[in-house]
Amino acid sequence: MMEMDCATCEAQIDAYADGELSADVAVALERALPGCPRCQQRLDEARLLRNALRQAPSPQAPADLRAAIMAALPASDDSATVAAMPRRVQPARRDTLRWAAGIVLALGAGWTAGRYLPLPIGPDATREVIDGYLRVTAGERLVEVASSDRHTVKPWFGGRVAYAPPVHDLTTDGFPLAGGRVDVIDGRKTAVLVYQRNRHVIALFLWPDAEGQSLRREVRDGFGLRRWSRAGFVFHAIADLPLSDLDRFAAALDARLDAER
Amino acid sequence: MSDTARAQRFASVALPHLDAAYGFARRLTRNESEAQDVTQEAFLRAWRYFETFRGADARPWLLSIVRNTFMSQRQARGAPMADLEDADTALDTVLAGTEALARIPQTPEKALLEADARRSVMAALDTLPQTAREVLVLREIEDLSYKRIATILDVPIGTVMSRLARARAALAAEIRRRAEDG
Repeated sequence: MMEMDCATCEAQIDAYADGELSADVAVALERALPGCPRCQQRLDEARLLRNALRQAPSPQAPADLRAAIMAALPASDDSATVAAMPRRVQPARRDTLRWAAGIVLALGAGWTAGRYLPLPIGPDATREVIDGYLRVTAGERLVEVASSDRHTVKPWFGGRVAYAPPVHDLTTDGFPLAGGRVDVIDGRKTAVLVYQRNRHVIALFLWPDAEGQSLRREVRDGFGLRRWSRAGFVFHAIADLPLSDLDRFAAALDARLDAER
Repeated sequence: MSDTARAQRFASVALPHLDAAYGFARRLTRNESEAQDVTQEAFLRAWRYFETFRGADARPWLLSIVRNTFMSQRQARGAPMADLEDADTALDTVLAGTEALARIPQTPEKALLEADARRSVMAALDTLPQTAREVLVLREIEDLSYKRIATILDVPIGTVMSRLARARAALAAEIRRRAEDG
């Protein structure tokens, strides 16, 4: 077993807080921490700072910036494009025009199709999913369409998200379907199915992803999170429940998905 | 790839990260209007160099372009770049006198936990030198690995680590100072 003195411990604290230590060094540090109040304090402080930064309101791109980037989109000829691209862009720049023209075509013809493509969502959708869960549970209504009938919930998503999510009621497995809603994850409209487990709420975020994501289970901020892929979709299930419950939930859902194929 | 397919792919890959790009630009520029300029120019550059993008996650790639755009715009306007030349010295200067690294505060949690501190943490961040701001945004808000950060900042990983440690100490000291003043 690796021994760690306090100086080494302190030098590694930041990397430990950032999850950048190899497993054996991390274990050695965890063993050294109890005898090292100063290091423990630095660790606590690093975590407090991180929380403070993450909880601070983060600036969102203002509508007019988004519009300025998108302004090039509806224009169909060069002059309109130049007029629409504000002062920030030199009109003579050919790339601007090609960019604008290309996106006009993309949005006009291929945008909808493009939204159906399996677009990878960044590897850390986790935080966004947690935020999404908080939005689900914070509102007065858990769902926008309340029904345990999959034939009501599934069509409701038509026109609201750019894919047809698989919808299954899992009442017989102990997870009744409460309904569905739409949230935004990574800037994209995402289908959310809401299930109940006794008095707990499980939110299931799902979107198509042909590549598939490896199974990931973790507890973050006290919420259980389970990510897995099945049947061409990637699922993020989150609840104020232990991971074992989410495993049961996933197994029940997988069985339905497999039966449907 | 046709222009259409390319633009379509670009829109789907890059636009979801607009908020992240703008947020980073805001902390770099500390100015709303300049942040908009930088972000828009960065997206144009990203489009131009789209072929150089490899991999699944466009966010670090875009953040890197945002930073390069910021630096070149500052340079073009003849703004002093000494901040970065003596980056680590500047951080030490910030820390000097606060003795933040040396002393163990009595109640570090309190100042950091107070709602006011949480609200003003961005204001505190904005008082730090660029080297501290950017490494903190990339690590704490964008949640990027040391390796990714090193690529974006174009410095060795060891430098990322030492800057991050100093930046955290500087931010903690600033928050504490504000809490004690106010």
